[in-house]
Amino acid sequence: MKKPIQKSRLLWILLVLLGAGLFISFLHGPVKTSFTDLWNFLIHKDQTYATIFIDLRLPRIVLAFLVGASLSLSGAILQGYFQNPMAGPFVVGVSSGASFGAVLSIFLGWNIQFFGLSLQNVFAFASGFALVSFVYILSQRKGVYKVETLLLTGIAAGALASSLTSFLIFFKSESFKQAVFWLLGSFALSDWNQVNAVFPYFLLCFVGAEWLAKEMNLLVLGDETAQSLGCPVNRVRKIFLALATLLAAASVSVSGIIGFVGLIIPHWVRILIGPDHRNLFIFSSLMGGTFLIYSDLLARSLLFPTELPIGIITAVVGAPFFIYLLNQRR
Amino acid sequence: MAMLEVENLCAGYENGYVINEIEFSLHRGEFISILGPNGSGKSTLLKALQGLLTNASGEITMEGQKLLTLSPREIAKKIAYVPQIFPLSFEFDVQEIIMMGRYIHQGRFGGITREDRKIIQEVMELTKISHLKDKKIAHLSGGESQRVFIARALAQDTPVLFLDEPSSHLDISYQIEIYHILRDLQQEKGKTVLSTEHNLNLAIPYSQNIMFLKEGKIHSQGPPEKLVTKQTIREVFDAEVDIRKNLHTHKPEISLILHSANKK
Repeated sequence: MKKPIQKSRLLWILLVLLGAGLFISFLHGPVKTSFTDLWNFLIHKDQTYATIFIDLRLPRIVLAFLVGASLSLSGAILQGYFQNPMAGPFVVGVSSGASFGAVLSIFLGWNIQFFGLSLQNVFAFASGFALVSFVYILSQRKGVYKVETLLLTGIAAGALASSLTSFLIFFKSESFKQAVFWLLGSFALSDWNQVNAVFPYFLLCFVGAEWLAKEMNLLVLGDETAQSLGCPVNRVRKIFLALATLLAAASVSVSGIIGFVGLIIPHWVRILIGPDHRNLFIFSSLMGGTFLIYSDLLARSLLFPTELPIGIITAVVGAPFFIYLLNQRR
Repeated sequence: MAMLEVENLCAGYENGYVINEIEFSLHRGEFISILGPNGSGKSTLLKALQGLLTNASGEITMEGQKLLTLSPREIAKKIAYVPQIFPLSFEFDVQEIIMMGRYIHQGRFGGITREDRKIIQEVMELTKISHLKDKKIAHLSGGESQRVFIARALAQDTPVLFLDEPSSHLDISYQIEIYHILRDLQQEKGKTVLSTEHNLNLAIPYSQNIMFLKEGKIHSQGPPEKLVTKQTIREVFDAEVDIRKNLHTHKPEISLILHSANKK
């Protein structure tokens, strides 16, 4: 295994990549804009493209970053939580729950807005969170729960939710296209309302995760050891599960299911900078956000003017890279 | 006054109690070994005594306080625990692992203090692992990682030290080395030690008192000179042995009777 690279160096690399990603994403879109247009807008306050820059492109970029950061942070939390690098944000079924909610709202066809969010957003968030809570309650016995039981119950409940989703799609096949776009993830409908909906969750969960990062380091040693070192294991576990679920449910509710980010990014960051969660949480968020900005760029430019679902991009890029990483580590 | 007083302790896991009606006391500066066959409840007893098992009843009094009502943090200030070692895949290095012993003494974002560094330095010297400090724990031998976990327990800076089978998976030279470290800690640092052990000949010379566990209950307890007899070993371990005196320590020592297995 290679020596871990310096954190400050990685930070600079990521910031430069993020800056470049922002810049390219800003210039790229269905309406042709040049560097001069952006320059004129920023420096000379030229309003010609103001709407495109501020109301179309910026929220999309910010949302892609927030969702990428949330999914990666959620994955980093759950990989520590299950002491397993194969864990990701969707491992306890939050994605299946959320997609059921979203497809249900498409199926019902109601067009209701909540504070600028569609019914689909709200249903997805609520049912994703509800499914994990349900799984959590089911896997408890006398106030104690086993991590294994949680994982297996999550898989079972997730499978159940997925089959219900398929059932709904089967019954109303005209909603198939809309549902698929959602099931594979997309930022095509991004606006500021969605940014406003996700940002507070990300901020809250990021601060919470950093707050308890030392405890997560102890949990990795095993519950009994952690507790004997003075860590209130049960409480910490509860909080972390809630944080990871909130992050994943909030992301999925605005952008659909974007696979692989939450699995691969924290895994890679761990290889790069080591196992300390105080750093893992920060770097996973930053790298995940940057990764999704570029993935979104690819999703909308590869088959321009057609937009691909972003989940296809993350899987196509992510899966081979993940296999490469696994082989490197052996 | 006893450091730790245990009355009618019953404890176990989801499926019920594994240990029953445990009564004993651990005095300040004492070294007690818990002995018994596999499955007799030795590890369970150590866990229960730190409040790690939720399925427990009875009373554990630690310096006048009811231990089962204390928070993990409060217990961790009194008792440090060296769990049984098993293959480890953590990517943390030795120094980071030992620093985790300082968890209860550190502020949330305070970082590492000068005192933390001083203590880490001390415990690494005491356990002779200073040269390993930047190595990953996964790359160490059994004896080395056992010393790292003892160092971590020492960094916790508690009056009481619990160890679960500290000699398991170790070569004989390491076994003796670990017990020497434990004796030094007891005699020079005044630590109170409670340890489980399956190797009788190793535990006896270092312990003031021993406790025999059988099927989750205390069979007998007291000083090894009185307690270790052919009769006791037969009852507890179901094995025929001879007892003689160790040539150096003059404490009782088990001598195996090699044909006993065939005779039965």
